[in-house]
Amino acid sequence: MSQPTATAMELETPIAPYVDTRRRSHRALGVAGKYGTIIGLALMIVILSIAAPGTFLSVDNFVNVITQNSLIAIVACGMTLPLVVGEFDLSLGYVASFAGVLSVGLMSHQGVPMGLAIVLAVLIGAVAGIVNGLLVTQLRVNALIATLGTGTVVVGLNYAYTNGVPVNLLPESRGFVNLALGKIAGIPNPVIVMVVVVIVLWLVLNRTVLGQQMQAVGGNRDAAELSGVRVERVRIWAFVIAGLCAALAGMMLASRVGSGQLTAGDGYLMNSFAAVFLGSAALRDGEFHILGTVIGVALVGFGFNGLAILGAPTFFQYIFSGGLLIVAVALSTVARRYARGS
Amino acid sequence: MSSQVVPLVRMSGMTKQFGAITALDDVSIAFNAGEVHGLVGANGAGKSTLVKVLSGAYAPDRGTIEIDGAPVAMHSTLDSRRHGFEFIHQELSLVPKFSVLQNLAMGNWQRTGFGLLTWRELRVRAKEVLSTLGLTQPLSTPVAELSVADAWLVSIGRALMRDARLIAMDEPSASLSGEECQRLFAVVRELVSRGVAILYVSHRLNEVVDMCNVVTVFRDGRVVDTLRGSEIDKPALVRGIVGDATVLPVVAATGRRIAELSDRPALSLRGLSRAPLVNGVDLDVMPGEVVGLTGLVGSGRTEVLRMVFGADRPTGGEMFIDGKPYRPRSVVHAIREGVALVPEERRSQGLFLDKSIDFNINVATLRVLRSGPLRLLSGGRRVERSERMVKSLGIKTRSTRTPVRQLSGGNQQKVVMGKWLVGNSRILLLDEASRGVDVSARVEIYNVIRQQAALGAAVLVVSSEFDELTNCDRVVVLREGRVAAELGPDEVSESAILAASFAEHRDARPIPSLGSRS
Repeated sequence: MSQPTATAMELETPIAPYVDTRRRSHRALGVAGKYGTIIGLALMIVILSIAAPGTFLSVDNFVNVITQNSLIAIVACGMTLPLVVGEFDLSLGYVASFAGVLSVGLMSHQGVPMGLAIVLAVLIGAVAGIVNGLLVTQLRVNALIATLGTGTVVVGLNYAYTNGVPVNLLPESRGFVNLALGKIAGIPNPVIVMVVVVIVLWLVLNRTVLGQQMQAVGGNRDAAELSGVRVERVRIWAFVIAGLCAALAGMMLASRVGSGQLTAGDGYLMNSFAAVFLGSAALRDGEFHILGTVIGVALVGFGFNGLAILGAPTFFQYIFSGGLLIVAVALSTVARRYARGS
Repeated sequence: MSSQVVPLVRMSGMTKQFGAITALDDVSIAFNAGEVHGLVGANGAGKSTLVKVLSGAYAPDRGTIEIDGAPVAMHSTLDSRRHGFEFIHQELSLVPKFSVLQNLAMGNWQRTGFGLLTWRELRVRAKEVLSTLGLTQPLSTPVAELSVADAWLVSIGRALMRDARLIAMDEPSASLSGEECQRLFAVVRELVSRGVAILYVSHRLNEVVDMCNVVTVFRDGRVVDTLRGSEIDKPALVRGIVGDATVLPVVAATGRRIAELSDRPALSLRGLSRAPLVNGVDLDVMPGEVVGLTGLVGSGRTEVLRMVFGADRPTGGEMFIDGKPYRPRSVVHAIREGVALVPEERRSQGLFLDKSIDFNINVATLRVLRSGPLRLLSGGRRVERSERMVKSLGIKTRSTRTPVRQLSGGNQQKVVMGKWLVGNSRILLLDEASRGVDVSARVEIYNVIRQQAALGAAVLVVSSEFDELTNCDRVVVLREGRVAAELGPDEVSESAILAASFAEHRDARPIPSLGSRS
């Protein structure tokens, strides 16, 4: 960890007639990217602990932050897969919102039993993923545009289904809220679901044929094709898994809130992006990976929590959110460039 | 190499490190106007790094650059361009959709008083440049429609538009046919006679001997030898490049014996066609046989391999594996039949550069790694397999976790081969497997090919390199998508191959005849 820094220092020997400072700052940035996310996370926790010892640094608050961010972590981990294959998915926030509305709506409007409503709501994420995947692989629509399009269509479907009015839970299905508010062995359910999702997706990406092929497609699509990877199928799967995760999170959110709010999950998109990109710079050189995403989510989560505790005004939270996204993508790019030694 | 004349460029004490690797170790070198200066050495010997330092792309850790005797700082590629230095890389930086004129104009734009572009003077200048290069195509021709050789000449033309004083060329002949090379060499000689300094980076030693006035040999980041004029000969260059490492003898051609034992070809092509480039190819490869497939660029060699590998669909003809009809629906299908392709473009088609050796070796055969009730991939088997390949192919690396980007070209090519050899492919297709690979790695690659043949694989090798073809049991020459000649082991000679490649056509670029399939 200290070695690259040492090399950077050695460059400053007086023998060198000129040293390209831009390159050196790149190198420093590369190191900052690789470990900076983790150092940043630690620093943030330390500073916030000092600034607000009573409120921030407490078991209650930490449990709260982790629970609050478990759903965003599910979205972000899912979103990691399209990014691994080199695609974007901008529809995930809207898919999450729709899945939430649908889970409550199916119970309240259609009288579907709770279990089935939950399954259908989560499956709507897979449908969105398939549509995204087909648009991108078969019609060759740029993923940014395709997912922005499907995302907007999903918003439309959401309004059509609800007439623009939030869906409330009927008294007989109050049990639905236990899904998010319940605990097993003292651990809140959303945290358990998050841990399961993280483990499953980590295994998928690192220990399955599909996951390795996703990495191959993201690494070099032509070489993947010539190595016998069914590139289009792999790309579609990435969208499907991302959609499933987003819908799962949206459904859990509806359970937490106890109603289907039309825009409840929309905000997941930007913060998930920031988290995934921050995470891609962590430990690995700008490669998207699940563990990094978890670190990224923690950074984003504690950041917002700190801002709230310190009483930052709303406008500042937006500035923080947007700024973080830009910093995250920049760090990720620099880390990648550093790894390639240019 | 002391001379009274002040050299155009003098680089002294150049040192450049990348992490633990010393790419340049106290290198001093001078380039004179009006000379072709060859830079040779194994991949990773330091020649490319030196060129990149001169271009301003890399900042050296130590060392000075003097131009016309005055020290200069080279902070960026813009600086080197200001000094009249031009760099032409293997992957040409032309815009294919742009016309020749637009490409020549790039970076040479002239503006009117209103800041708009003016084409009139550019056009005049461009015509001069093209006539110097002997290009006759109209200025409006899109570069995409030019042959590789002509595209190279246009790249040189762009340098000439700027009155370059020094032009560095990286493997200029790598994708050119024999006749196209001659045109390039003529242009190089013309430029030199006008006082331009040429840096000529090439693995093709015959060319280096023919073309260069001075040759600097690099090994392990140092200059090990500088040869001038009549001192330049191939044995001396090979000695310098390889150093003490003894060149392994190529395994004797045992393949033919197996081939004689077997009466059924492992791979047969009958009238294989894909309009317009391939027009009915008949070819048999016996198990244990290494067959060379050659011809000019555009003769359909690569296209034949891609069809066998299921990457392209034939428009006509049939294929057989072990006598059974074979119609690959996809690459996946071809792989399942035991067919493997080492593609032409190593970096862009064969490798995952940012991924580890482990990843690259296993990527085509992941299913084998599944184990346990969840069918998860076994990390241990993965490493074990890639370590086996690293060992048996002699891939030089510290660890199998190293990203392949950090390997030299020869070792990268071995990784691509390892990807298939780890999975017991029976039909090996290699497309220019030794291109851009240094002398000793090249011998090792031939050995691997021979070993696989000895184990019973059928090998089809596409190559433009005569050395590589002499290692084949048989050489098939394609012309305009048809078999023009088949040369047995005693008949393979450079002149026989050229004669078959060029027969009837004096033009370097064969025009594929459409719709004349028999």
